[in-house]
Amino acid sequence: MTETGRYLYAIARGLDPQALTDVPALAGGHLEVVEHRGLGAVVSSVDLDEYGEEGLRRNLENLPWLEEVARGHDTVVQATATQAPTAPLRLATICLDDDGVRERLDAWHDALEQVLDRVEGRMEWSVKVYARPRPAPAAEATRPAASGAAYLQRKKAETEARQADESSTAMIADEVHESLAARSVAGRRLPPQDPRLTGRSERMLHNGAYLVEVDEGVAFSALVDELATAHPEVVIEVHGPWPPYSFATLEQT
Amino acid sequence: MTSTAPETRTRTHAESRAERLPEIALVDLLDRLLGTGVVLAGDVVISLAGVDLVQVRLHALITSIRSDMVEPR
Amino acid sequence: MNENDARRLFPQRLETDAESVERDLFKLVLTIIELVRQLMEKQALRRVDEGDLTDEQIEGLGTGLMHLEQAMDDLKSRYDLTTADLNIDLGPLGPLLSE
Repeated sequence: MTETGRYLYAIARGLDPQALTDVPALAGGHLEVVEHRGLGAVVSSVDLDEYGEEGLRRNLENLPWLEEVARGHDTVVQATATQAPTAPLRLATICLDDDGVRERLDAWHDALEQVLDRVEGRMEWSVKVYARPRPAPAAEATRPAASGAAYLQRKKAETEARQADESSTAMIADEVHESLAARSVAGRRLPPQDPRLTGRSERMLHNGAYLVEVDEGVAFSALVDELATAHPEVVIEVHGPWPPYSFATLEQT
Repeated sequence: MTSTAPETRTRTHAESRAERLPEIALVDLLDRLLGTGVVLAGDVVISLAGVDLVQVRLHALITSIRSDMVEPR
Repeated sequence: MNENDARRLFPQRLETDAESVERDLFKLVLTIIELVRQLMEKQALRRVDEGDLTDEQIEGLGTGLMHLEQAMDDLKSRYDLTTADLNIDLGPLGPLLSE
C-alpha cells in the first residue's frame, strides 16, 4: 500500500529497451524505458518510504545503503552506456509517475540533446596525481640538536625543503592536467579526496576527469604512462574508461 | 555510432552480465553521483562551524603557553 | 579542556566504553597541542628571520621548542599515536596539521 515513484538512472538516445532486460534494477524492481521526443529515460519503480524526501534524508547518511544504491545505479548506467549515447543522472532523481518522467524529458530536452552530442562516442578517464611519500629523515636529523639555535636552524631547513617540494609537485600536477586536457575533448579538475575514503596516505595533488574519444583510449593511456615516466617525483594513476559521469550529469531542479 | 571498439558492439544478454566495464572505486562513484566532493566526518566530528570553536579555544591555550615559554631564562 | 567542551566538539561519536573515551579525549587534546606546537614553531622561525631577537632569546626559544617536541613525542608514544593519527581533515580546508 506504500506509494511508489519512478527512479531515473540515465537518459539515452536510440536505446533498445530489450537490451536492458537482464540488468538488475534497485530494490528488486524492473527496468523500463520511458520515451519522449526521441529520448528515453531508464527507470524503475521504488517505494517512496525509502526514496521519498524523508526516506532519502535518512538513507543518504547511511553508508551501507548509499553504497548499495550507488553500485546499483552505476550498474544500470554502465549497461545503458554500452548500448547507446547516455547522459547519467545523479543519485536519486525520482518522479511520481511516467507522466512526471515525460515532463522532465520535455523540460530538459534541449540540454539533454547537447549533453548527448557531447558524450556520444566518448568515455571518461580518471587521472589522479599523488605526491610520493617523503623518505624517512636521515639518522643525523633525528638525533637531538646540539643547541636551541641549532634546533631552529634544522627546523628552518626542513620547512624550506618541504615548501620547495610542495610547490614543485603542484607545478607538475598542473602540467599533467594541461597535457591531458590538450589531448582530450574536455578535462575537469575535481576536488581532492579524503585520505580516509581513498585509503591512500599520500597527498592527492590532482583529481582529474577527462572526456576521451572511445578509440583514443589507448593513446590516452599511453600519454599518461609517458607523463608518469617523465615525472618520477609523483605517482600518477589512471582509471577508465567509465561512462561520462563528470561531463553529462544534469542538475535536478 | 560507427566505432568498432568492443564496448559498442551488440551484446548477448549473457555477455552483458559477465563482461563488466572497469569497476569504479566507491569514493569516485559517490563524488560523481552526489555531485560534491565527499567529506567524511570521522571520529572527531569538527564541522566548519566547529573549527571556529577550536580556534577560540586555541587562542586561550596559545596565550597561556606563550607566557610560560617565551620568558627568557 | 573539560569534558563538556569535548562533548560539544564531537557530539555523535563518543564511545560508551570508558577506555576509548579517555583515548579519544587524549587524542583530541594532543591534536590541539600539536597544532599549537607547529604554529609556535612557525612563529619562532619568523621572528628569528626578522632578526630582532638576541642570541639569548633565540637559544631560549629553540630549547623550549625542542623540549616541547620531545614532550609531544613522549605523550604520543604513551598512547601509541603517530602525528598522522592526530591529523584531522577539514574537508575543503585541507588537513589540520601540516605534516
